[in-house]
Amino acid sequence: MEYGIHLCILVCIYLILAQSFNITLGLGRLLNLAHVAGYAIGAYVTAIGTTTGDMGLFTAIIASSFTSGLLSLLLGGIALRLSDDYFAIGTLAFSSIVSALLINCKGVTNGVLGISGIPRPKIADFELLNNSSFLFLVFAITFVCLAIIYILFSGPFGRALRAQGENRSALLALGRDIRLMNTTAFFISSSFAGLAGSLYAYYINYVDPSSFSFSEMTLLLTIVIVGSPGSFWGCIGSTIFLVCIPEPLRFLDIPSYLVGPMRQLLQSVILVLVVWLNRNRLFSLTREV
Amino acid sequence: MELLPQILINALITGSLYALIAVGFSLTYGVLKILNFSHCHLMMAGAYLFYLFFVELEFGIFSSALCTIAASVFLASIVFFLFIRPFEGRSILLPLVSTLGCATILESLVAIFFGVNVKSLSGDWISESIEIGSIFVTPLQLLIISTAIIISVVLAIILQFTPFGRQVRAVAERATAAESVGITPVRVRFTVFSAAVLLTILGGILVGFESNLTPTMGQSFILKAVAASVLGGLGNVWGTLAGSFILGFIENIAVGIDIGGFSLPASYKDSFAFFVILFVLLLRPNGIFSMRRRSV
Repeated sequence: MEYGIHLCILVCIYLILAQSFNITLGLGRLLNLAHVAGYAIGAYVTAIGTTTGDMGLFTAIIASSFTSGLLSLLLGGIALRLSDDYFAIGTLAFSSIVSALLINCKGVTNGVLGISGIPRPKIADFELLNNSSFLFLVFAITFVCLAIIYILFSGPFGRALRAQGENRSALLALGRDIRLMNTTAFFISSSFAGLAGSLYAYYINYVDPSSFSFSEMTLLLTIVIVGSPGSFWGCIGSTIFLVCIPEPLRFLDIPSYLVGPMRQLLQSVILVLVVWLNRNRLFSLTREV
Repeated sequence: MELLPQILINALITGSLYALIAVGFSLTYGVLKILNFSHCHLMMAGAYLFYLFFVELEFGIFSSALCTIAASVFLASIVFFLFIRPFEGRSILLPLVSTLGCATILESLVAIFFGVNVKSLSGDWISESIEIGSIFVTPLQLLIISTAIIISVVLAIILQFTPFGRQVRAVAERATAAESVGITPVRVRFTVFSAAVLLTILGGILVGFESNLTPTMGQSFILKAVAASVLGGLGNVWGTLAGSFILGFIENIAVGIDIGGFSLPASYKDSFAFFVILFVLLLRPNGIFSMRRRSV
Protein backbone atom coordinates (compact mmCIF):
# COMPACT_ATOMS: atom_id res chain seq x y z
CA MET A 1 0.00 0.00 0.00
CA GLU A 2 2.83 2.34 0.91
CA TYR A 3 4.50 1.43 -2.34
CA GLY A 4 1.32 2.20 -4.26
CA ILE A 5 1.08 5.61 -2.61
CA HIS A 6 4.73 6.26 -3.49
CA LEU A 7 4.10 5.41 -7.13
CA CYS A 8 1.01 7.63 -7.26
CA ILE A 9 2.88 10.61 -5.84
CA LEU A 10 5.71 10.07 -8.32
CA VAL A 11 3.25 9.77 -11.21
CA CYS A 12 1.55 13.03 -10.18
CA ILE A 13 4.85 14.93 -10.04
CA TYR A 14 5.88 13.56 -13.43
CA LEU A 15 2.45 14.40 -14.85
CA ILE A 16 2.99 18.09 -14.12
CA LEU A 17 6.55 17.93 -15.39
CA ALA A 18 5.70 16.05 -18.58
CA GLN A 19 2.61 18.05 -19.49
CA SER A 20 4.54 21.28 -19.15
CA PHE A 21 7.24 19.84 -21.40
CA ASN A 22 4.43 18.88 -23.77
CA ILE A 23 3.55 22.57 -24.08
CA THR A 24 6.94 23.53 -25.49
CA LEU A 25 7.85 20.35 -27.36
CA GLY A 26 4.45 19.01 -28.30
CA LEU A 27 2.65 22.18 -29.26
CA GLY A 28 5.47 24.57 -30.06
CA ARG A 29 7.98 21.99 -31.36
CA LEU A 30 10.70 23.71 -29.36
CA LEU A 31 13.14 21.16 -27.99
CA ASN A 32 13.83 22.82 -24.66
CA LEU A 33 16.63 20.75 -23.18
CA ALA A 34 16.73 23.07 -20.15
CA HIS A 35 13.36 21.94 -18.84
CA VAL A 36 14.97 19.84 -16.14
CA ALA A 37 16.92 22.94 -15.09
CA GLY A 38 13.59 24.59 -14.25
CA TYR A 39 12.65 21.47 -12.27
CA ALA A 40 15.96 21.61 -10.39
CA ILE A 41 15.65 25.32 -9.61
CA GLY A 42 12.14 24.84 -8.23
CA ALA A 43 13.31 22.00 -6.03
CA TYR A 44 16.30 23.96 -4.72
CA VAL A 45 14.27 27.13 -4.04
CA THR A 46 11.86 25.12 -1.92
CA ALA A 47 14.74 23.29 -0.25
CA ILE A 48 16.59 26.48 0.67
CA GLY A 49 13.41 28.33 1.59
CA THR A 50 12.17 25.69 4.00
CA THR A 51 15.48 24.72 5.58
CA THR A 52 17.15 28.09 6.07
CA GLY A 53 14.02 30.26 6.01
CA ASP A 54 10.64 29.19 7.21
CA MET A 55 8.43 29.21 4.15
CA GLY A 56 4.88 28.02 4.26
CA LEU A 57 3.55 25.73 1.57
CA PHE A 58 2.02 28.28 -0.75
CA THR A 59 4.92 30.71 -0.46
CA ALA A 60 7.36 27.95 -1.38
CA ILE A 61 5.34 26.74 -4.34
CA ILE A 62 4.82 30.23 -5.71
CA ALA A 63 8.47 31.18 -5.13
CA SER A 64 9.68 28.02 -6.88
CA SER A 65 7.43 28.47 -9.90
CA PHE A 66 8.23 32.14 -10.20
CA THR A 67 12.01 31.66 -9.99
CA SER A 68 11.92 28.96 -12.66
CA GLY A 69 9.76 31.17 -14.81
CA LEU A 70 12.12 34.12 -14.44
CA LEU A 71 15.11 32.02 -15.41
CA SER A 72 13.26 30.73 -18.44
CA LEU A 73 12.76 34.32 -19.54
CA LEU A 74 16.53 34.71 -19.44
CA LEU A 75 16.98 31.52 -21.44
CA GLY A 76 14.26 32.51 -23.89
CA GLY A 77 15.92 35.84 -24.51
CA ILE A 78 19.00 34.07 -25.80
CA ALA A 79 17.57 30.91 -27.31
CA LEU A 80 14.29 31.90 -28.94
CA ARG A 81 15.98 33.87 -31.69
CA LEU A 82 17.82 30.74 -32.85
CA SER A 83 16.64 28.04 -35.22
CA ASP A 84 16.14 24.38 -34.36
CA ASP A 85 19.69 23.03 -34.17
CA TYR A 86 21.19 26.05 -32.43
CA PHE A 87 18.18 26.27 -30.14
CA ALA A 88 18.85 22.77 -28.86
CA ILE A 89 22.52 23.67 -28.32
CA GLY A 90 21.62 26.89 -26.48
CA THR A 91 19.18 25.19 -24.12
CA LEU A 92 21.65 22.36 -23.50
CA ALA A 93 24.33 24.89 -22.58
CA PHE A 94 21.93 26.74 -20.27
CA SER A 95 20.97 23.51 -18.59
CA SER A 96 24.63 22.70 -17.98
CA ILE A 97 25.29 26.17 -16.56
CA VAL A 98 22.48 25.70 -14.05
CA SER A 99 23.85 22.28 -13.18
CA ALA A 100 27.39 23.63 -12.76
CA LEU A 101 26.13 26.49 -10.57
CA LEU A 102 24.20 24.06 -8.37
CA ILE A 103 27.35 22.00 -7.88
CA ASN A 104 29.76 24.90 -7.39
CA CYS A 105 27.87 27.47 -5.30
CA LYS A 106 28.51 25.49 -2.16
CA GLY A 107 27.50 28.27 0.19
CA VAL A 108 23.96 28.31 -1.11
CA THR A 109 23.34 24.86 -2.47
CA ASN A 110 25.75 22.73 -0.45
CA GLY A 111 27.32 21.42 -3.66
CA VAL A 112 27.16 17.73 -4.44
CA LEU A 113 26.13 16.91 -0.90
CA GLY A 114 22.75 18.43 -1.49
CA ILE A 115 20.27 19.82 0.97
CA SER A 116 18.61 17.35 3.30
CA GLY A 117 16.04 17.54 6.02
CA ILE A 118 13.44 19.41 4.01
CA PRO A 119 10.34 19.35 6.20
CA ARG A 120 6.99 18.19 4.95
CA PRO A 121 4.68 21.07 4.06
CA LYS A 122 2.67 22.88 6.68
CA ILE A 123 -0.76 24.27 5.97
CA ALA A 124 -1.63 26.62 8.83
CA ASP A 125 0.45 24.75 11.39
CA PHE A 126 -0.86 21.35 10.33
CA GLU A 127 2.08 19.27 9.10
CA LEU A 128 1.37 16.64 6.48
CA LEU A 129 3.60 14.02 7.90
CA ASN A 130 2.44 10.77 6.47
CA ASN A 131 2.39 9.83 2.86
CA SER A 132 -1.38 9.44 2.42
CA SER A 133 -2.14 13.01 3.42
CA PHE A 134 0.74 14.17 1.23
CA LEU A 135 -0.78 12.18 -1.62
CA PHE A 136 -4.07 14.06 -1.22
CA LEU A 137 -2.25 17.38 -1.39
CA VAL A 138 -0.20 16.38 -4.44
CA PHE A 139 -3.26 14.98 -6.14
CA ALA A 140 -5.19 18.21 -5.61
CA ILE A 141 -2.32 20.35 -6.87
CA THR A 142 -1.80 18.08 -9.90
CA PHE A 143 -5.50 18.22 -10.73
CA VAL A 144 -5.50 22.02 -10.70
CA CYS A 145 -2.31 22.18 -12.81
CA LEU A 146 -3.56 19.73 -15.36
CA ALA A 147 -6.86 21.60 -15.61
CA ILE A 148 -5.00 24.82 -16.33
CA ILE A 149 -2.82 23.08 -18.89
CA TYR A 150 -5.87 21.51 -20.53
CA ILE A 151 -7.49 24.92 -20.87
CA LEU A 152 -4.24 26.15 -22.40
CA PHE A 153 -4.12 23.25 -24.86
CA SER A 154 -7.66 23.60 -26.08
CA GLY A 155 -7.92 27.37 -26.05
CA PRO A 156 -6.74 29.98 -28.53
CA PHE A 157 -3.23 30.15 -27.09
CA GLY A 158 -2.74 26.42 -27.58
CA ARG A 159 -4.06 26.57 -31.11
CA ALA A 160 -1.74 29.42 -32.01
CA LEU A 161 1.25 27.68 -30.45
CA ARG A 162 0.45 24.50 -32.34
CA ALA A 163 0.20 26.50 -35.55
CA GLN A 164 3.57 28.08 -34.80
CA GLY A 165 5.09 24.65 -34.40
CA GLU A 166 3.70 23.35 -37.65
CA ASN A 167 4.40 26.33 -39.87
CA ARG A 168 6.16 29.28 -38.37
CA SER A 169 6.15 31.51 -41.43
CA ALA A 170 2.44 31.01 -42.05
CA LEU A 171 1.70 32.24 -38.56
CA LEU A 172 4.01 35.20 -39.02
CA ALA A 173 2.12 36.02 -42.20
CA LEU A 174 -1.10 36.03 -40.18
CA GLY A 175 0.38 38.75 -38.01
CA ARG A 176 0.91 36.89 -34.72
CA ASP A 177 3.79 37.94 -32.48
CA ILE A 178 5.71 34.68 -32.42
CA ARG A 179 8.44 35.83 -30.06
CA LEU A 180 5.94 36.92 -27.42
CA MET A 181 3.96 33.70 -27.80
CA ASN A 182 7.02 31.50 -27.48
CA THR A 183 8.30 33.46 -24.50
CA THR A 184 4.94 33.08 -22.76
CA ALA A 185 4.87 29.36 -23.50
CA PHE A 186 8.39 29.05 -22.08
CA PHE A 187 7.43 30.97 -18.95
CA ILE A 188 4.34 28.86 -18.30
CA SER A 189 6.16 25.62 -19.02
CA SER A 190 9.08 26.46 -16.73
CA SER A 191 6.81 27.66 -13.94
CA PHE A 192 5.03 24.33 -13.90
CA ALA A 193 8.39 22.56 -13.94
CA GLY A 194 9.40 24.62 -10.92
CA LEU A 195 6.19 23.68 -9.21
CA ALA A 196 6.85 20.01 -9.85
CA GLY A 197 10.34 20.49 -8.43
CA SER A 198 8.89 22.03 -5.31
CA LEU A 199 6.63 19.00 -4.80
CA TYR A 200 9.60 16.72 -5.40
CA ALA A 201 11.61 18.50 -2.70
CA TYR A 202 8.72 18.24 -0.25
CA TYR A 203 8.25 14.55 -0.96
CA ILE A 204 11.81 13.21 -1.04
CA ASN A 205 12.99 15.67 1.65
CA TYR A 206 16.43 15.76 -0.01
CA VAL A 207 17.72 17.44 -3.16
CA ASP A 208 21.08 17.04 -4.82
CA PRO A 209 22.41 17.84 -8.30
CA SER A 210 22.49 14.23 -9.45
CA SER A 211 18.69 13.83 -9.39
CA PHE A 212 18.38 16.40 -12.17
CA SER A 213 20.63 14.90 -14.77
CA PHE A 214 20.61 14.23 -18.48
CA SER A 215 18.68 10.99 -17.95
CA GLU A 216 15.72 12.87 -16.44
CA MET A 217 15.66 14.87 -19.67
CA THR A 218 15.57 11.76 -21.83
CA LEU A 219 12.80 10.33 -19.66
CA LEU A 220 10.69 13.45 -20.23
CA LEU A 221 11.46 13.32 -23.93
CA THR A 222 10.39 9.68 -24.01
CA ILE A 223 7.14 10.44 -22.20
CA VAL A 224 6.13 13.23 -24.54
CA ILE A 225 7.07 11.38 -27.71
CA VAL A 226 5.49 8.07 -26.71
CA GLY A 227 2.34 9.95 -25.78
CA SER A 228 2.21 11.68 -29.15
CA PRO A 229 3.60 15.22 -28.91
CA GLY A 230 0.85 17.78 -28.51
CA SER A 231 -1.71 15.33 -27.20
CA PHE A 232 -2.97 16.06 -23.66
CA TRP A 233 -4.47 12.65 -22.90
CA GLY A 234 -1.67 10.78 -24.68
CA CYS A 235 0.84 12.43 -22.40
CA ILE A 236 -1.11 11.40 -19.29
CA GLY A 237 -1.21 7.81 -20.49
CA SER A 238 2.46 7.66 -21.38
CA THR A 239 3.51 9.21 -18.05
CA ILE A 240 1.70 6.49 -16.13
CA PHE A 241 3.10 3.85 -18.49
CA LEU A 242 6.71 5.00 -18.43
CA VAL A 243 6.93 5.72 -14.71
CA CYS A 244 5.43 2.36 -13.81
CA ILE A 245 6.97 0.07 -16.43
CA PRO A 246 10.51 -0.07 -14.95
CA GLU A 247 9.15 -0.81 -11.48
CA PRO A 248 9.01 -4.63 -11.93
CA LEU A 249 12.83 -4.41 -12.30
CA ARG A 250 12.99 -3.83 -8.55
CA PHE A 251 11.54 -7.21 -7.83
CA LEU A 252 13.82 -9.17 -10.12
CA ASP A 253 16.93 -10.76 -8.75
CA ILE A 254 19.49 -8.31 -10.07
CA PRO A 255 22.11 -6.39 -8.12
CA SER A 256 20.99 -2.94 -7.05
CA TYR A 257 23.63 -1.04 -9.01
CA LEU A 258 22.16 -2.47 -12.22
CA VAL A 259 18.61 -1.27 -11.59
CA GLY A 260 19.31 2.35 -12.58
CA PRO A 261 21.06 1.60 -15.90
CA MET A 262 18.48 -1.04 -16.79
CA ARG A 263 15.68 1.41 -16.16
CA GLN A 264 17.46 3.94 -18.36
CA LEU A 265 18.02 1.33 -21.06
CA LEU A 266 14.38 0.30 -21.07
CA GLN A 267 13.16 3.87 -21.35
CA SER A 268 15.60 4.88 -24.10
CA VAL A 269 14.90 1.73 -26.13
CA ILE A 270 11.19 2.53 -25.93
CA LEU A 271 11.96 6.08 -27.08
CA VAL A 272 14.00 5.02 -30.09
CA LEU A 273 11.52 2.30 -31.03
CA VAL A 274 8.56 4.68 -30.92
CA VAL A 275 10.45 7.35 -32.88
CA TRP A 276 11.49 4.79 -35.48
CA LEU A 277 8.01 3.28 -35.87
CA ASN A 278 6.33 6.67 -36.07
CA ARG A 279 8.94 8.39 -38.19
CA ASN A 280 6.47 9.42 -40.87
CA ARG A 281 3.90 10.89 -38.53
CA LEU A 282 6.04 12.38 -35.78
CA PHE A 283 6.68 16.15 -36.10
CA SER A 284 5.60 15.82 -39.69
CA LEU A 285 6.35 18.66 -42.03
CA THR A 286 2.89 18.52 -43.55
CA ARG A 287 -0.40 17.65 -41.97
CA GLU A 288 -2.92 15.24 -43.47
CA VAL A 289 -6.05 17.15 -44.25
CA MET B 1 52.68 34.39 -13.89
CA GLU B 2 55.69 32.15 -13.35
CA LEU B 3 53.40 29.29 -14.22
CA LEU B 4 52.53 30.76 -17.59
CA PRO B 5 54.60 28.35 -19.76
CA GLN B 6 53.06 25.39 -17.92
CA ILE B 7 49.58 26.85 -18.36
CA LEU B 8 50.24 27.29 -22.07
CA ILE B 9 51.38 23.70 -22.45
CA ASN B 10 48.33 22.48 -20.56
CA ALA B 11 46.18 24.60 -22.84
CA LEU B 12 47.84 23.00 -25.86
CA ILE B 13 47.18 19.51 -24.48
CA THR B 14 43.55 20.21 -23.59
CA GLY B 15 43.04 21.90 -26.93
CA SER B 16 44.48 18.91 -28.77
CA LEU B 17 42.11 16.51 -27.01
CA TYR B 18 39.15 18.74 -27.73
CA ALA B 19 40.30 19.06 -31.35
CA LEU B 20 40.29 15.30 -31.88
CA ILE B 21 36.81 15.03 -30.40
CA ALA B 22 35.23 18.15 -31.84
CA VAL B 23 36.41 17.89 -35.43
CA GLY B 24 34.34 14.74 -35.96
CA PHE B 25 31.27 16.40 -34.48
CA SER B 26 31.67 19.42 -36.71
CA LEU B 27 32.29 17.31 -39.81
CA THR B 28 29.17 15.25 -39.04
CA TYR B 29 27.12 18.42 -38.88
CA GLY B 30 28.65 19.81 -42.05
CA VAL B 31 28.09 16.70 -44.18
CA LEU B 32 25.09 14.97 -42.62
CA LYS B 33 23.45 18.18 -41.39
CA ILE B 34 22.56 16.70 -38.02
CA LEU B 35 23.75 17.42 -34.51
CA ASN B 36 24.92 14.05 -33.38
CA PHE B 37 24.31 14.16 -29.62
CA SER B 38 25.55 10.60 -29.37
CA HIS B 39 28.98 11.65 -30.68
CA CYS B 40 30.73 11.69 -27.33
CA HIS B 41 28.85 8.65 -26.11
CA LEU B 42 30.27 6.80 -29.10
CA MET B 43 33.66 8.08 -27.97
CA MET B 44 32.98 6.66 -24.53
CA ALA B 45 31.81 3.33 -25.92
CA GLY B 46 34.86 3.02 -28.17
CA ALA B 47 37.21 3.88 -25.34
CA TYR B 48 35.55 1.21 -23.21
CA LEU B 49 35.92 -1.29 -26.06
CA PHE B 50 39.65 -0.50 -26.13
CA TYR B 51 39.68 -1.00 -22.35
CA LEU B 52 38.01 -4.37 -22.89
CA PHE B 53 40.63 -5.50 -25.40
CA PHE B 54 43.70 -3.93 -23.80
CA VAL B 55 43.09 -4.33 -20.07
CA GLU B 56 40.53 -7.07 -19.54
CA LEU B 57 41.41 -9.40 -22.40
CA GLU B 58 45.07 -8.32 -22.32
CA PHE B 59 45.72 -8.20 -26.04
CA GLY B 60 48.82 -6.27 -27.02
CA ILE B 61 48.52 -2.64 -27.94
CA PHE B 62 48.43 -3.17 -31.69
CA SER B 63 45.92 -6.01 -31.57
CA SER B 64 43.73 -3.98 -29.24
CA ALA B 65 43.92 -1.04 -31.59
CA LEU B 66 42.93 -3.17 -34.60
CA CYS B 67 40.07 -4.82 -32.75
CA THR B 68 38.86 -1.45 -31.52
CA ILE B 69 38.94 -0.03 -35.05
CA ALA B 70 36.91 -2.98 -36.34
CA ALA B 71 34.43 -2.78 -33.48
CA SER B 72 34.13 0.99 -33.89
CA VAL B 73 33.34 0.77 -37.58
CA PHE B 74 30.71 -1.84 -36.72
CA LEU B 75 29.26 0.42 -34.01
CA ALA B 76 29.28 3.42 -36.36
CA SER B 77 27.40 1.40 -38.99
CA ILE B 78 24.72 0.36 -36.52
CA VAL B 79 24.26 3.92 -35.32
CA PHE B 80 24.24 5.32 -38.85
CA PHE B 81 21.75 2.87 -40.31
CA LEU B 82 19.43 2.61 -37.31
CA PHE B 83 19.52 6.01 -35.68
CA ILE B 84 20.38 8.50 -38.42
CA ARG B 85 19.56 7.22 -41.89
CA PRO B 86 15.83 6.45 -41.31
CA PHE B 87 15.16 10.09 -40.50
CA GLU B 88 16.59 11.84 -43.51
CA GLY B 89 14.25 14.22 -45.24
CA ARG B 90 11.94 14.56 -42.26
CA SER B 91 11.72 17.05 -39.40
CA ILE B 92 15.06 18.11 -37.86
CA LEU B 93 13.75 17.17 -34.43
CA LEU B 94 13.73 13.45 -35.27
CA PRO B 95 17.49 12.86 -35.57
CA LEU B 96 18.03 15.11 -32.53
CA VAL B 97 15.72 12.97 -30.42
CA SER B 98 17.00 9.76 -31.94
CA THR B 99 20.65 10.55 -31.22
CA LEU B 100 19.75 11.57 -27.66
CA GLY B 101 18.09 8.18 -27.28
CA CYS B 102 21.11 6.45 -28.81
CA ALA B 103 23.39 8.27 -26.37
CA THR B 104 21.36 7.09 -23.38
CA ILE B 105 21.25 3.53 -24.71
CA LEU B 106 25.05 3.49 -25.08
CA GLU B 107 25.53 4.94 -21.61
CA SER B 108 23.26 2.40 -19.95
CA LEU B 109 24.79 -0.54 -21.86
CA VAL B 110 28.29 0.49 -20.81
CA ALA B 111 27.14 0.98 -17.21
CA ILE B 112 25.55 -2.48 -17.23
CA PHE B 113 28.52 -4.31 -18.74
CA PHE B 114 31.41 -2.41 -17.21
CA GLY B 115 29.90 -0.96 -14.05
CA VAL B 116 29.73 2.66 -13.02
CA ASN B 117 33.10 2.77 -11.32
CA VAL B 118 35.93 4.77 -12.81
CA LYS B 119 38.30 2.78 -15.00
CA SER B 120 41.71 3.80 -16.08
CA LEU B 121 44.04 2.93 -18.93
CA SER B 122 47.67 3.04 -18.07
CA GLY B 123 51.06 2.33 -19.49
CA ASP B 124 54.41 2.59 -17.70
CA TRP B 125 56.48 4.63 -20.12
CA ILE B 126 53.61 6.94 -20.88
CA SER B 127 53.24 8.62 -17.54
CA GLU B 128 56.77 9.58 -16.53
CA SER B 129 57.23 13.31 -16.44
CA ILE B 130 59.97 14.88 -18.51
CA GLU B 131 61.23 18.29 -17.59
CA ILE B 132 61.86 20.70 -20.47
CA GLY B 133 63.02 24.06 -19.20
CA SER B 134 60.45 25.13 -16.64
CA ILE B 135 57.62 22.89 -17.85
CA PHE B 136 56.72 19.32 -17.08
CA VAL B 137 55.20 17.09 -19.74
CA THR B 138 54.68 13.38 -20.07
CA PRO B 139 55.34 11.43 -23.29
CA LEU B 140 51.58 10.80 -23.44
CA GLN B 141 50.87 14.50 -23.52
CA LEU B 142 53.40 15.03 -26.30
CA LEU B 143 51.72 12.15 -28.14
CA ILE B 144 48.35 13.87 -27.76
CA ILE B 145 49.63 17.14 -29.19
CA SER B 146 51.42 15.48 -32.11
CA THR B 147 48.41 13.27 -32.91
CA ALA B 148 46.15 16.31 -33.09
CA ILE B 149 48.57 18.13 -35.39
CA ILE B 150 49.09 15.11 -37.67
CA ILE B 151 45.36 14.37 -37.89
CA SER B 152 44.56 18.01 -38.70
CA VAL B 153 47.14 18.10 -41.48
CA VAL B 154 46.01 14.75 -42.92
CA LEU B 155 42.36 15.83 -42.77
CA ALA B 156 43.16 19.10 -44.50
CA ILE B 157 45.07 17.32 -47.26
CA ILE B 158 42.29 14.78 -47.79
CA LEU B 159 39.53 17.35 -47.86
CA GLN B 160 41.35 19.78 -50.12
CA PHE B 161 43.41 17.70 -52.55
CA THR B 162 41.86 14.26 -53.00
CA PRO B 163 38.89 13.30 -55.18
CA PHE B 164 37.12 11.90 -52.14
CA GLY B 165 37.63 15.20 -50.35
CA ARG B 166 35.96 16.96 -53.26
CA GLN B 167 33.03 14.58 -53.01
CA VAL B 168 32.72 15.34 -49.30
CA ARG B 169 32.75 19.06 -49.90
CA ALA B 170 30.21 18.67 -52.69
CA VAL B 171 27.79 16.69 -50.54
CA ALA B 172 28.25 19.15 -47.69
CA GLU B 173 27.46 22.05 -49.94
CA ARG B 174 24.51 20.72 -51.95
CA ALA B 175 23.68 17.02 -51.83
CA THR B 176 21.18 17.03 -54.68
CA ALA B 177 23.63 18.70 -57.02
CA ALA B 178 26.28 16.21 -55.99
CA GLU B 179 23.90 13.39 -56.76
CA SER B 180 23.27 14.74 -60.22
CA VAL B 181 26.97 14.55 -61.06
CA GLY B 182 27.15 10.94 -59.99
CA ILE B 183 28.19 11.06 -56.35
CA THR B 184 26.30 8.76 -53.98
CA PRO B 185 25.54 10.92 -50.95
CA VAL B 186 24.79 7.96 -48.68
CA ARG B 187 28.21 6.44 -49.25
CA VAL B 188 29.97 9.74 -48.64
CA ARG B 189 27.92 10.41 -45.52
CA PHE B 190 28.58 6.96 -44.14
CA THR B 191 32.33 7.22 -44.74
CA VAL B 192 32.50 10.66 -43.15
CA PHE B 193 30.45 9.47 -40.19
CA SER B 194 32.66 6.44 -39.63
CA ALA B 195 35.80 8.55 -39.92
CA ALA B 196 34.39 11.06 -37.44
CA VAL B 197 33.53 8.27 -34.98
CA LEU B 198 36.99 6.70 -35.35
CA LEU B 199 38.69 10.05 -34.73
CA THR B 200 36.66 10.73 -31.66
CA ILE B 201 37.27 7.25 -30.31
CA LEU B 202 40.99 7.87 -30.73
CA GLY B 203 40.47 11.01 -28.67
CA GLY B 204 38.54 8.99 -26.12
CA ILE B 205 41.32 6.43 -25.77
CA LEU B 206 43.85 9.21 -25.19
CA VAL B 207 41.52 10.69 -22.57
CA GLY B 208 41.40 7.25 -20.97
CA PHE B 209 45.19 7.19 -20.72
CA GLU B 210 45.44 10.80 -19.62
CA SER B 211 42.72 10.72 -16.97
CA ASN B 212 40.07 8.03 -16.67
CA LEU B 213 36.97 6.43 -18.14
CA THR B 214 33.48 6.70 -16.72
CA PRO B 215 30.14 5.98 -18.42
CA THR B 216 29.13 9.63 -17.95
CA MET B 217 32.13 11.08 -19.75
CA GLY B 218 30.00 11.35 -22.88
CA GLN B 219 27.81 13.90 -21.17
CA SER B 220 30.73 16.08 -20.13
CA PHE B 221 32.60 15.99 -23.42
CA ILE B 222 29.63 16.64 -25.71
CA LEU B 223 29.46 20.18 -24.41
CA LYS B 224 33.16 20.72 -25.05
CA ALA B 225 32.72 19.39 -28.59
CA VAL B 226 29.69 21.61 -29.13
CA ALA B 227 31.47 24.64 -27.69
CA ALA B 228 34.54 24.16 -29.87
CA SER B 229 32.42 23.58 -32.98
CA VAL B 230 30.07 26.49 -32.38
CA LEU B 231 33.01 28.76 -31.63
CA GLY B 232 34.71 27.91 -34.88
CA GLY B 233 31.58 27.48 -36.93
CA LEU B 234 29.68 24.21 -37.23
CA GLY B 235 30.83 22.36 -40.31
CA ASN B 236 34.00 24.41 -40.63
CA VAL B 237 36.92 22.04 -39.97
CA TRP B 238 39.65 24.64 -39.61
CA GLY B 239 37.36 26.79 -37.50
CA THR B 240 36.60 23.90 -35.18
CA LEU B 241 40.29 23.11 -34.78
CA ALA B 242 40.99 26.73 -33.92
CA GLY B 243 37.96 26.79 -31.64
CA SER B 244 39.20 23.73 -29.73
CA PHE B 245 42.54 25.34 -28.98
CA ILE B 246 40.89 28.63 -28.03
CA LEU B 247 38.59 26.75 -25.68
CA GLY B 248 41.53 24.88 -24.14
CA PHE B 249 43.32 28.18 -23.76
CA ILE B 250 40.34 29.92 -22.11
CA GLU B 251 39.80 27.08 -19.65
CA ASN B 252 43.39 26.82 -18.52
CA ILE B 253 44.09 30.55 -18.35
CA ALA B 254 40.89 31.30 -16.47
CA VAL B 255 41.61 28.90 -13.63
CA GLY B 256 45.37 29.43 -13.77
CA ILE B 257 45.71 33.18 -13.40
CA ASP B 258 45.98 34.82 -10.06
CA ILE B 259 45.00 38.49 -10.07
CA GLY B 260 46.01 40.03 -6.75
CA GLY B 261 45.19 36.93 -4.76
CA PHE B 262 41.79 36.29 -6.36
CA SER B 263 41.57 33.14 -8.44
CA LEU B 264 38.76 30.98 -9.67
CA PRO B 265 38.34 27.59 -8.05
CA ALA B 266 39.31 24.80 -10.42
CA SER B 267 35.82 23.33 -10.26
CA TYR B 268 34.62 26.13 -12.51
CA LYS B 269 36.93 24.96 -15.28
CA ASP B 270 34.28 23.04 -17.14
CA SER B 271 31.69 25.82 -16.95
CA PHE B 272 33.57 28.01 -19.39
CA ALA B 273 32.54 25.90 -22.32
CA PHE B 274 28.88 26.57 -21.52
CA PHE B 275 29.38 30.30 -21.27
CA VAL B 276 31.39 30.26 -24.48
CA ILE B 277 28.49 28.55 -26.26
CA LEU B 278 25.91 31.07 -25.07
CA PHE B 279 28.19 33.99 -25.76
CA VAL B 280 28.93 32.88 -29.31
CA LEU B 281 25.25 32.13 -29.99
CA LEU B 282 24.34 35.62 -28.84
CA LEU B 283 26.92 37.49 -30.86
CA ARG B 284 28.15 35.38 -33.77
CA PRO B 285 25.94 32.31 -34.15
CA ASN B 286 27.75 31.17 -37.27
CA GLY B 287 31.04 31.00 -35.44
CA ILE B 288 33.73 33.60 -35.06
CA PHE B 289 35.49 32.54 -38.24
CA SER B 290 32.46 32.74 -40.46
CA MET B 291 31.91 35.63 -42.81
CA ARG B 292 28.22 34.91 -42.99
CA ARG B 293 25.86 37.13 -41.08
CA ARG B 294 22.93 34.93 -41.97
CA SER B 295 20.40 34.63 -39.16
CA VAL B 296 20.53 31.31 -37.44
